[in-house]
Amino acid sequence: MASYAKPLARPHSEEEIEDPREHLMHDPLPRGKMNEMVMESMHETSWKFWVATGFLTVVVLVCIGYYWYYMIMNGLGVAGVNRPVFWGIFLVNVVFWIGISHAGTFISAILRVLKVESRRPFTRAAELMTTFGLVQAGLSVFMHMGRVWLTYWMFPIPNERMLWPDFHSPLMWDLMAITTYLLCSTMYLFLPLIPDLAMARDRTESGWLKPIYKILALGFRGTEGEWKNLTTAMNIFAFAIIPVMFSVHTIVSWDFAMASRPGWSSTVFGPYFVIGALHSGMAAVAIVLFLLRSTMKHYKYFIRPEHFDTIGMLMFMVSMAWAYFYFNDYIVPWYGGDVWDKLFQEWAEKGPMWYLWYIMLFCNIVVPWSILWNKKWRRTPWLLASAGLLINVGMWLERYIIIPAGLTINRMPFTWRIYTPGVEVWLTIGTFAFFLLLYMLASRVIPLIPVWEVQEGQEAHIIRKIGKAEISTLSDLE
Amino acid sequence: MTANLELPVFTNNSEEELGGKWGMVIDQDICTGCQACVAACAMENNVPFVGEEDVAYGRGMHWIRVERLWEGLEGDYRDVKMTDYQPTMCQQCHNAPCEPVCPVYASVHSMSEDLNLQVYNRCVGTRYCANNCPYQVRTFNWRDYTDYREGNASHTINTANNDPSWSVLQNQLNPDVTVRRRGVMEKCTFCIQRIHKAEDKAKSEGREIEDGEFTTACAQACPANAITFGRLDDPETMVNKAAETSRGRHLLEEMGTLPRVTYLAGGA
Amino acid sequence: MSETITLLAIFEDMEPVSEGIDKLYELGLSDDEMNVISGIPVKNTILGRPSAITYVSRIGMFGALMGMALGIFLIYGIPYLYPLLVGGQAIFPVPQGIIITFEMTMLGLMGFSFIGMFVDSGFPSYTPKEYTPEISDGRIAVLFSCPGDDQKKFVDTLTKAGAISVVPTEARHL
Repeated sequence: MASYAKPLARPHSEEEIEDPREHLMHDPLPRGKMNEMVMESMHETSWKFWVATGFLTVVVLVCIGYYWYYMIMNGLGVAGVNRPVFWGIFLVNVVFWIGISHAGTFISAILRVLKVESRRPFTRAAELMTTFGLVQAGLSVFMHMGRVWLTYWMFPIPNERMLWPDFHSPLMWDLMAITTYLLCSTMYLFLPLIPDLAMARDRTESGWLKPIYKILALGFRGTEGEWKNLTTAMNIFAFAIIPVMFSVHTIVSWDFAMASRPGWSSTVFGPYFVIGALHSGMAAVAIVLFLLRSTMKHYKYFIRPEHFDTIGMLMFMVSMAWAYFYFNDYIVPWYGGDVWDKLFQEWAEKGPMWYLWYIMLFCNIVVPWSILWNKKWRRTPWLLASAGLLINVGMWLERYIIIPAGLTINRMPFTWRIYTPGVEVWLTIGTFAFFLLLYMLASRVIPLIPVWEVQEGQEAHIIRKIGKAEISTLSDLE
Repeated sequence: MTANLELPVFTNNSEEELGGKWGMVIDQDICTGCQACVAACAMENNVPFVGEEDVAYGRGMHWIRVERLWEGLEGDYRDVKMTDYQPTMCQQCHNAPCEPVCPVYASVHSMSEDLNLQVYNRCVGTRYCANNCPYQVRTFNWRDYTDYREGNASHTINTANNDPSWSVLQNQLNPDVTVRRRGVMEKCTFCIQRIHKAEDKAKSEGREIEDGEFTTACAQACPANAITFGRLDDPETMVNKAAETSRGRHLLEEMGTLPRVTYLAGGA
Repeated sequence: MSETITLLAIFEDMEPVSEGIDKLYELGLSDDEMNVISGIPVKNTILGRPSAITYVSRIGMFGALMGMALGIFLIYGIPYLYPLLVGGQAIFPVPQGIIITFEMTMLGLMGFSFIGMFVDSGFPSYTPKEYTPEISDGRIAVLFSCPGDDQKKFVDTLTKAGAISVVPTEARHL
């Protein structure tokens, strides 16, 4: 019996036929024009930018400058920590900012290794998030210390007292891991930046930026040897920074998992925190891309709905992974067994801060699962950014539930006490303002789009006709 | 609460090491909850006055606290009764969970005295040790509570009275014990200053320390003699004899911390 | 024998460059006498050029070993120098050893790769060099030296191969 095709119920709609030229990779402009666009968006600054920067500077000076000084001089008593909640919002911020920083490495390293081409325009914007997020994490670590002026005792440097730090402690692993991650992340930010700094150097005639570009571009020209060295180093970094990224947040989670508090010594904390980091980080990338696209001139050419689509799909997958890990962490104590672990879970769910638990679940699961399945919604920048904002709120609350809310209970019920934040609120606002301020200042100095990588991608993409359709084709030019 | 479990301990330590050196027995059946031990410890060890507001918020710095809990709250009110008073101080665990987590070796185990040492001048105030203590006996100097120097009214005094003549409170401090500043952890030390004083005296006289020659401040102050302190490795000491009764148990034994304080309960 | 001069030929795209380089080989130039400068990395096989040698990975491997040595010192050397008993844990801990050694190895690998890239490329170098800003605008340039008498021959050959311009250059500050 001959087979026949059923006629379509309705004809192809216009939306289904994708024009490959919508993609950045198939919409090439001459490199000179792209360079000009990027340089222009960097140097043309409106008064609104300066107002925002000024406001953020004031916030940073007051919140971090004044309140941190006040806290150092008067002791941690001005913060909200007590017994048994010895760690409060400062640690929440540490974990939160390290989480945000993971997305940068995910995009610039993992997506590069997996050869996901749509990562090309926003790797640097994401990598900047990593560096600046780690700065805030480091600040929060210093803020929570009782005698912060003696922090250098934690560094393994030979000294005349002949004292060394204790590597049995997860905090020392933290120090090693975060230092490694910060240094390597900054180096990994700088490497692909060199050719773009060379471009900026070539296109800047005068001013105070010209010597900066000249020095930072290191005399890069683009000879075969230089490119070979650069790409080899970049490949080494891309592969090597991935395990470092996983290990950093695992080690941060071990700060809690190694403790003998109920609910904290959970073996799932390692991967759970890594996925949580990716969850909040990818959401933050969506916010940053939306802000860049809306505020920077010409960026609508570089950052297109297809990129939001990629980020949205990643956010969706990570949110499912997060739900999987959280369900693991939930069902095991719920099932019974250890009365203290069960108490931790019930305290979060039915204790005095139960509403935070519900908000967290709503923001981390309901929001992504209800918005990100739809392709059209994923391609809408403001919608993705709003979902990202809610996800970040949910992830911050998740860490709040683990740390201050979780420390309230322990195995000696006589000592239980609720935590009420003090100056931590100001210092938290300060770190957010500082992050934004650093980002805004960086956008004036370094080109946020890696133009050479965009051109490299555009050279490799062609459209060829197969049958009646125009198909996007990627050549392997590396 | 928990039975005397006798859990196996898989360590490289010898039997004597597991047994311990300095230890304490607290008889909950005769403790009256008078809190004389708390007052004596505070006076002996320069534990700061924190003030009403901070104590209410959970920042009380007492190295020993007398816990009392209520049982039977879910039933009829007539069934509600109080548990035994439980004076809780640092248990000087042999496998102290507070020790490995300090990043700067401020909380270490003394191999010669088998006590957990808190090194005040090394502490940078990360407070991981306090989080990790299952007995929650560590306290932190949230502010400069004991700065009685002229013109530097401490936080407690400041809230009450700005009068610099309060600096005479300086005279109450025990010169044998360090005064801690803000940002430093502290906890019960089994009155290690008294231990060292007695050891020095005995050594200078060329003899061993006799049982009962000295004792900790809390044991000294207890009017009911509920607290006994001494050497656990000597079978003849009072504390060893007291620890061997069937009423003896450790707090949170299932944590495997090997504490040096035995609680006697369940008797009369 | 006329003196050698340095010429810079600028091409628009990868195809004409490979043709031009072919012609340069035909005209008798060797590998060392020409250099390709581009705004994006171009695969050497596309250009018909030998693969550039890089020492970055070797320096990186060396760095990994240095990092591992540092990690092992931190986790085992320190307790060997100053043994302190904490929490009944082993003085020479194995799990912490794995963590710290891993982190320091990675730091060494990446740090030395980074420095290796600087060293191998001669960065930073602010001496005058042959260059034109058109390269960062996406063009590909071939820098080569030839005897001064044959300049016209080279210029004509390359222009026929598709070069936009072939001009003598001299080193200038970037």
